[in-house]
Amino acid sequence: MNNSSPFLPTTRREFLHLSTKGIGLLAFSGFAPSFLVKATMAGAPAPEKDQKVLVLIQLAGGNDGLNTLIPFEDPHYYRLRPTLAIPKEKVLRVSDTLGLHPSCAAFQALVNDGKLAIVQNVGYPNPNHSHFRSSEIWETASPSDKFLSTGWIGRYLDNACAGSPAEDHDPLAVHVNTLNGVPETFMGAQEHPTFGLLASGIGRKDSEETRKLLQSIGSGGANAGDERTFLQQTLMDSLVTETKVQQVLTDYRPMSTYPANPFATSLRSVAGLIASGLPTRVYFVTLTGFDTHFNQANTQANLLTVLSTGLAAFQKDLEAHHLDGQVTTMTFSEFGRRPFENESKGTDHGTAAPLFVLGAQVKGGLHGTAPNLDLPKNQDVAYSTDFRSVYATMLENWLGTPSEPVLGAKFAPLPLIA
Amino acid sequence: MPTSPALSPAAAWEPLPAAEWNADAARHLFRRAGWTALKADVEQAEREGLAATLDRLFPAEPVLFPEPIQVARFAEQVADYAGREKAAATPEERRLIQRERREQAQTAVQDMSLRWLSFAAQPANAAYAKWVLFLSDVYVVGFDKVQNPPFIFGHFDVLGRYGLGPAPVLAKAVSRSPAMMVYLDLNQNRREAPNENFARELFELFLLGEGNYTEQDIKEAARAFTGYRLRPLTGEVFIAPNQHDAGPKTIFGQTGNFTGDDVIDLAYDLPAAGAFLPHELVKFYLSDTMLPPEYLLALGDRWRTEGSLELRWLARQFFGSRIFYAPEFRGDFIKSPVQLYLGLVQDLALDVVPVPRLVLNPLRQMGQTLYTPPNVRGWVGGRAWINSASLAARRTLVELLFNPIDENKLNADEQLDLAAAHTQGADRFTVTDRTLQELERIAPSTFIARLETNLLPVTAEDAFSTGLARFIGGANTPPERLRRIRRAVMTLLQSPEYQLC
Repeated sequence: MNNSSPFLPTTRREFLHLSTKGIGLLAFSGFAPSFLVKATMAGAPAPEKDQKVLVLIQLAGGNDGLNTLIPFEDPHYYRLRPTLAIPKEKVLRVSDTLGLHPSCAAFQALVNDGKLAIVQNVGYPNPNHSHFRSSEIWETASPSDKFLSTGWIGRYLDNACAGSPAEDHDPLAVHVNTLNGVPETFMGAQEHPTFGLLASGIGRKDSEETRKLLQSIGSGGANAGDERTFLQQTLMDSLVTETKVQQVLTDYRPMSTYPANPFATSLRSVAGLIASGLPTRVYFVTLTGFDTHFNQANTQANLLTVLSTGLAAFQKDLEAHHLDGQVTTMTFSEFGRRPFENESKGTDHGTAAPLFVLGAQVKGGLHGTAPNLDLPKNQDVAYSTDFRSVYATMLENWLGTPSEPVLGAKFAPLPLIA
Repeated sequence: MPTSPALSPAAAWEPLPAAEWNADAARHLFRRAGWTALKADVEQAEREGLAATLDRLFPAEPVLFPEPIQVARFAEQVADYAGREKAAATPEERRLIQRERREQAQTAVQDMSLRWLSFAAQPANAAYAKWVLFLSDVYVVGFDKVQNPPFIFGHFDVLGRYGLGPAPVLAKAVSRSPAMMVYLDLNQNRREAPNENFARELFELFLLGEGNYTEQDIKEAARAFTGYRLRPLTGEVFIAPNQHDAGPKTIFGQTGNFTGDDVIDLAYDLPAAGAFLPHELVKFYLSDTMLPPEYLLALGDRWRTEGSLELRWLARQFFGSRIFYAPEFRGDFIKSPVQLYLGLVQDLALDVVPVPRLVLNPLRQMGQTLYTPPNVRGWVGGRAWINSASLAARRTLVELLFNPIDENKLNADEQLDLAAAHTQGADRFTVTDRTLQELERIAPSTFIARLETNLLPVTAEDAFSTGLARFIGGANTPPERLRRIRRAVMTLLQSPEYQLC
C-alpha cells in the first residue's frame, strides 16, 4: 500500500476496477460491494430464493384501452368508434363479451395459460387530461388534487429497505430506456441506488486508466454546490455498477428469442440482470408512442405487437431460467383515451383503461368490471378500479409490505396474486 | 437547496452594478448564454462592459441559421412523392415509396442537425442559436411526429425571426407554423369535433402553465382554433371559414366571438403569462431550483409594463440582472448534451465532424436528439440529463474526440463527406498530438491549473489536480509523457466539474 502511485486504490470504491479481473476479490471482500462477493463465493450468480421482483412497463402517451380490450358485443363501442372499431370477428376473445386487439395474439395465449391478468377500467377520481400531470399522479400515487415529490416505488424502498448499508451500491431499482432518466416512480425521501440503461445496454468501451483517475476525485467538500455533489456521487456509484452490469449483459444467454426492437432488447437486459442475482427489486421499462390523436389504427397495432411479443418472449425466457416464480410484470399508462374517436381517425386524452399483470403467480384472466359506454358524445368513461388498489396488491401480496404507509391511505388489494 | 435567494424580488432584476462586472462574471455569462467561455470572448466582454456584450449577444438583427440545401431539395420533392404514392399500382409499391420518403426525410434532418451544430459552434452565433434552442424547448415540435424536414426548419426559422420581438407575435406565428400544426393536430381541428391538443398545450406548456386555466377554457379555446388548415405539399397555412367556429366563446371569464389570435392576446393579458417565460428562462439557463413565484411575477410584471412583452427586453434584463450573477447560481448547473458537445468543440478548437453517426449517436446516448425532444414538454433539463448511462455516454464522447477517426470503418458516403470537408479546410475533427505538444514543455501543475481556470466553472479539488499532475510526472519517456498528458486532459473533461456551467 505504500506504492508511490497516487492512483493506488485507497477506498473500497477504488478496488472496483479489479472486479473485471475477478481473481483476488475475496481477499478484499471486507471492502468490496456485496454483489461481487456473493457472485465470487457462489461461483455462479444465484438469486435469493424469496426475492420478489416487480417489473413496471410504462406505456407512455396514453394507451387506448377501448381498442386494447374490446367489448365486441356492445353496440355503443361501434357507435363511438365509427372508423377505429375492431370488427367483432377480428377480436381475440378472452370472454363472451370481451377480447383483445388482433395484435395481441401472444397475450391471448398467456391469458389461456392463466399467466396474464387483465384489470379492467383502472383509473382514479377527478381525472387529469395532461400527460405530465396524469403521469405524475400514476407515478407518485397521489390523489389528483395533491402534489407529492416522491414516487410510490421510492416510498416502498424508503419503507422496506431502510437500514440497508448506505455504501451498498447494488441498485435497488433499475430503469431502461426511460424518457428522462430516473423515473419519478423511483424518487424516495431517502437516496436509493438506482441504475439506468439505454435500450442497447451500456454500449461503451471505457478506459481503465481514466476510471482510475476519476476515482481519485473526492466527495466534494463543504463548498460544493448541490449539482456538483450530485454529479460526483452519480459518477462514483456508476463506476462501481457499470463494471458489473456490463459483464452481466455481455455474459447473458437468453433462452427465448426476443423480437428485434429496442423494447424487447430492454426486456432481455432486465431478464439478464434478474438472472444475475442483483438485489434489484424493481425494474422500469418505457415503451413510447401511445399518444394517438391522429390515424391511430396502425400506430397502436404496431405498438401492441411490440408490447405483447416482447413480454411473451420475456416471460418465456424467465420460465426457461426458472425465474418466473420470482417475477411479476405490470403495465401502466397515464390515461386511456376518449371513447368517442375524433375527426382525425384518432382519439384524444381520456381517463380509465385496462392494465396487464403478468407472471407465474398471477391469477390470469379478467378482473374488475368493464366501463359503461352508454355515453354522450365526447364524454369520458368513469373508472371502476382505483390504480392504487393495483399498487396495494403489488405491495402487499407480491412485495410483501404493508401498503398504507406507501400509499398514504387504505386501498383494498385485488385478488390478482394466486 | 437554497430556500430563497439573498436578493429581494425587487432587487433581483435590477441591472448588475458595473463594479461587479469582471472576468469571472463574463465567464459565467458566456457559459450560460452560450456553450462555453472562450478566452477571447471573455477578454472582449470585460473590455466592453456588460451592456455592450448583451447588445452583441442579442442584437437587433440576429444572424439566422440558413436553410440547408437538403431541406430545400426535400421540399421540392414532396409533391413528387405524393404523386408517385398516388400512382402506385400495388400496396407494396406504395409502401416502398413511403419508405423512401421517410429515409429521405431522416437523412435531411440529420444533415440539418449537423449543419446547425456547425453554425451554433461559431462563437458569434452561439448565444442566439442557444436562445432559439431555448424557445424551441418552449414551443416544442418533434420530427418523430412531423416527419417533414422543411416544416421543422420552418418552425425554427419562425423562432429565430420572431425570437426577440413581441411575445404575442411569436405565439401567433407559432400557431401558424406547419410543424406545430402537424405536431399538435391543429390542422385536424374541425368545428364539429374540436381537437383539443393544441389549445391544451398552448395554455399548459406555451403561455400560462398548469393551474392558470380551466378545462372549460381549453374546450372553448379549441373552438377558437378550429379551421386552421395546412396544405401539406406546400406548407401554406390558411383558415377555412366553413371549418372555423365563429360563435361566441367564454375564455378566462370573457365572452366574445374569439379567434385563435384573440385567445393568445387574452392569455397575455393574464399576469401568469408574464411570469411563465421567466419561469422557463430560470429552468433552461439558471438553476434546477426554481425561484419562488414572487420573483417570477416581479420580472413578469416589469416585462409587461416596461418591456411591452418584447423578448429582447426580457433577454437583456434576465442576463443583465443581479440575480443572474448571484453566487448561488455560479457553476452549479448541469450542461445539456448539446452544450457539452458544442462546448467541447469550442474549447478544443475542433470542427463538427460531417458524419451524422459520429455526432448524433453520442448526443442521442446522452439523451438529446436535436429536433426530437421526448415529448411536447421538451427536455426536462438539469439533473434529469444525468444518470449512470448518460454520464457514461458523456465520457465516451470525450474518448471519441481524442481518438483519430478510423476512416476504414466509414461507409462510402461518409468518406466522401469527410473528404469534402477536408477540401473546405474544416478538418480539425479530433485532438491531435500537435495540439498537446505545446503542453509538454510546461510544468504539469502549471498547465493543469491553467486548464482548470479556462475549462471548469468551479475550483477543482486539490486531490484531483495534484493527482493529474503526478500522473503526468510519473512518465519515464517523452512519448509516454505525451500519452499521459492526453489522458489527463481527457480526464479533466470527463470530470463531474466539466459537466457544470
